[in-house]
Amino acid sequence: MRWLPAFLSASLFAAGSFAAKKTSEERFKAFHIKSLSSAPVKLSDGSYRDLTATPRDYTSAVLLTAMDARFGCQLCREFQPEWDLLSRSWIKGDKAAASRVVFATLDFADGRDTFMSLSLQTAPVLLLFPPTTGPHAAASSEPLRYDFTAGPPSAEMVHAWIARHTPDRPHPQVKRPINWIKWVTTIVAVSGSFTAAYVAWPIVLPIIQSRNVWAAISLIAILLFTSGHMFNHIRQVPYVAGDGKGGVNYFAAGFQNQYGMETQVVAAMYGVLSFAAISLAVKVPRIADPKAQGVAVLAWGGVMVVMYSFLLSVFRIKNAGYPFSLPPFM
Amino acid sequence: MSAEPLQALANVGKGESTRTLLRVVILFLIAGAAVASRLFSVIRFESIIHEFDPWFNFRATKYLVANGFYSFWDWFDDRTWHPLGRVTGGTLYPGLMVTSGAIYHALRALTIPVDIRNICVLLAPAFSGLTAYATYLLTNEMTPSPSAGLLAAVFMGIAPGYISRSVAGSYDNEAISIFLLVFTFYLWIKALKLGSMLWGALCALFYGYMVASWGGYAFITCLLPLHSFVLICMGRYSTRLYVAYTTWYALGTLASMQIPFVGFLPVKTSEHMPALGIFGFLQLLAFLDYVRSAIPGRQFQTFLWLFAGGTFGIGLAGLVIATSAGVIAPWGGRFYSLWDTSYAKIHIPIIASVSEHQPTAWPAFFFDLNMLIWLFPAGVYLCFQQLADEHVFIVVYALFGSYFAGVMVRLMLTLTPVVCVAAAIAVSNVFDAYLIVKSPSTEDRQVEDVSEAVAKKAKSGLKSTSKPVVGVYSLISKGAVVSAMTVYLLLFVLHCTWVTSNAYSSPSVVLASKLADGSQHIIDDYREAYQWLRQNTKDDAKIMSWWDYGYQIGGMADRPTLVDNNTWNNTHIATVGKAMSSKEEVSYPIMRQHEVDYVLVVFGGLLGYSGDDINKFLWMVRIAEGIWPEEVNERAFFTPRGEYRVDAEASQVMKDSLMYKMSYYNYNNLFPPGQAQDRVRGARLPEVGPTLDVLDEAFTSENWIIRIYKVKDLDNVGRDHAAASAFERGLKKKKVMKKRGPRVLRVD
Repeated sequence: MRWLPAFLSASLFAAGSFAAKKTSEERFKAFHIKSLSSAPVKLSDGSYRDLTATPRDYTSAVLLTAMDARFGCQLCREFQPEWDLLSRSWIKGDKAAASRVVFATLDFADGRDTFMSLSLQTAPVLLLFPPTTGPHAAASSEPLRYDFTAGPPSAEMVHAWIARHTPDRPHPQVKRPINWIKWVTTIVAVSGSFTAAYVAWPIVLPIIQSRNVWAAISLIAILLFTSGHMFNHIRQVPYVAGDGKGGVNYFAAGFQNQYGMETQVVAAMYGVLSFAAISLAVKVPRIADPKAQGVAVLAWGGVMVVMYSFLLSVFRIKNAGYPFSLPPFM
Repeated sequence: MSAEPLQALANVGKGESTRTLLRVVILFLIAGAAVASRLFSVIRFESIIHEFDPWFNFRATKYLVANGFYSFWDWFDDRTWHPLGRVTGGTLYPGLMVTSGAIYHALRALTIPVDIRNICVLLAPAFSGLTAYATYLLTNEMTPSPSAGLLAAVFMGIAPGYISRSVAGSYDNEAISIFLLVFTFYLWIKALKLGSMLWGALCALFYGYMVASWGGYAFITCLLPLHSFVLICMGRYSTRLYVAYTTWYALGTLASMQIPFVGFLPVKTSEHMPALGIFGFLQLLAFLDYVRSAIPGRQFQTFLWLFAGGTFGIGLAGLVIATSAGVIAPWGGRFYSLWDTSYAKIHIPIIASVSEHQPTAWPAFFFDLNMLIWLFPAGVYLCFQQLADEHVFIVVYALFGSYFAGVMVRLMLTLTPVVCVAAAIAVSNVFDAYLIVKSPSTEDRQVEDVSEAVAKKAKSGLKSTSKPVVGVYSLISKGAVVSAMTVYLLLFVLHCTWVTSNAYSSPSVVLASKLADGSQHIIDDYREAYQWLRQNTKDDAKIMSWWDYGYQIGGMADRPTLVDNNTWNNTHIATVGKAMSSKEEVSYPIMRQHEVDYVLVVFGGLLGYSGDDINKFLWMVRIAEGIWPEEVNERAFFTPRGEYRVDAEASQVMKDSLMYKMSYYNYNNLFPPGQAQDRVRGARLPEVGPTLDVLDEAFTSENWIIRIYKVKDLDNVGRDHAAASAFERGLKKKKVMKKRGPRVLRVD
């Protein structure tokens, strides 16, 4: 099997020399025809070199990716459909090749050598090779690299990036296919819910008009909002976090920080305290039996003291300098 | 013996006039407490304007007092946003300045000579007293209990959530707006209850005043229609509602359009559309109501209601279409980011960069409201007991207020009034039940007078109130509950005082620190530096700094600035950001083009002051990147491992940036070689500090918080600055080596 590398390099050399012989115009035509049938063009090592050979009067956008499941490249898999969509709608909108852009994809499986020669450690990498000759020639033939650090970009974002680097040329818009399934499901769901509402109206109406239900909804909403639920939602905080010693931290250190679980505990504490206040104010004076009333007062009053004391002690975890406390949690 | 004074005391409270007198006295005491608790900063420091925005308001007020109302209205300010200038008269909310100007002239007319600065400093505490009174009025509309209003007034007076924006010296729009907000709500409730055009007009008047004072008026603009809409959905449409709403809307919108900054927004932007939509819908309902009264017939009525619902739906669809077609401006960025919470982070970094616009973590709620935060749901629940029109208002306000406060820290301010009202209702309910000396001995008599009222409620009311009120029997339970509540209330007072004195009374222009012996040490670098600018620079020397300090430079140093806290031009801010985050060779042309004379940076490394420019630097980079994604790249400011560092490991782009150089220039000379330390970021700095070619260090304040650099003029001999300063440092000029190639023999 020793002859294989030698043969490979020989054949590659042959391909390279072929590429050198072909003019830029011919190469572009070949790739454009290929992309008309299936965009983006699937590349291999040889055709990659072909596409990016230096005297070129066209722009080539190459996505170097690793779709094989072995590499576990989440970003590659998420970006691939967007990339396909972008190249397809670009080529479709520019059949006459007025923009002179070729979209191509090189998978690691087909282009191991290219990855090595570019010494790439990560995927995906999106390279934009500007033309070196012709009216749009760029000063440097070095490819531009798209920044993937902000997560998988949408086709529109990449479109804007490419458009920025190919001025004075047509930029066919990204056309997303109509999501028929979504439309159908929406229509079915809406009509279904209307029907359900019509049928269930006599049952639902008393619930909608029930003051207790609305009171419960309002209180739950208020408790959620005042215990920092929106913060969790916006900042996407973890539910709990380890303390580095194998244990679990329920309360985040710091005043500007919190965990998901922590807010639920706080909401529960607020809820208990509110309920105790409501009971003391409304329910207890309505108990006709003096003895039961005395017990209720003691119970709710006790719950309130203990809970408030606990709340204060939790708050002291968050704010170390807080001076106030109540028994029993001093 | 002991019973007699008690009896006397009890009798005193019985007469109507003595009660009124007591109320007046108590309200005055509350106002006094509200004002007094806001004076920490004046007593501790001095009578000084705080923070950033107040400095602009102060400057505008001085301009108003000096030049009169009309020139204030037409004020074009060429000393900010150089070289663009700012149409200040048309781009501010004039309510605050006009209020203090009016007070100033009134006091002058009474021959009381008061400095305008003192009026500005003390305006917020004075208005907090009025806010307490307005809360008292609003709460009295909600409950028959006589104590609830007074409790609400106390809560409002000392709740840290409100104090945070209204201490003495915090001369900001919110200072008067919260009073206007609460009072407008009171007038609205009054108008709605009475169906009175007079109260509606008063409501519109104060609404107009509110619009003139604060951008937060949109909260009223959305809340009142929402309240009306909920009432309509509950089947509570009435002529009272019609009269109150239409009067408010028609007059209030006209009043709001008189403010140049607002202009035609009320008919053009989405956040005003609910008000307009409900206005139209009410007209339709009034018409249908009339038709219904004229024509009986059940089927016709059904048709009418369907007609009304259909019109509402079509109107809503029309609104959506008009918005997407661009006829109506979509939601302004700030409002939109309240709904789509990730919007600002992606699209408007300048909004996301402000710390007030961050979401609220739960400790902030507890810190600002203490026990009120858990009494709040209880109070809202009690509102469900009767659920008259005004109680619906409290419920709606509570829901929306708490949502907004959860999304944005700053909006805690709009939540605080409703929390105070609801908590006061809860506490007064407890006290009303437990603070009666008389116990129900025989059950039946006590029951009778209350049970009638309860029986009515019980039909549609809450489950918990279905039984009649009996009263509390044992004196011990009464005593226990009342004393526990008293302890909580006292704790609340202590908490409020502690929070106010520790967290909210720092002017942030002057910093206080404790020395080793416990005495107070004042760090006054800001004023030192601004005074230096005032005395040592030309009157029209342009100062470039990050926008946070624009108002202060304008107010204290009286020098033109490039950008300031009125962030109306994102591109201009990004220009400054680019100048700060680029190499010197890139920054210099930018500064020359903008005629910058001095550059000001804030550096906290020596003192450990964390609010400095290096910590804000990433926002500058981000905002600049938004406009010039090719030239500024946020990623490049991090180390390859993704860390934000300032020491020897920092990325080269970071080290080359103007901001880095200005912050650490000469800093290493302060320490023994190799010992230079940044105390904010806890980093040891490289032994050789950065060099600056295009700037000269002009001034550094005592604690190095503020550093000012002078922009060099063009070189006399026409060299570039790098070459000139290399020559100064005694480096040999690098010879331009011409490549000659190998020598060859001349061949003829």
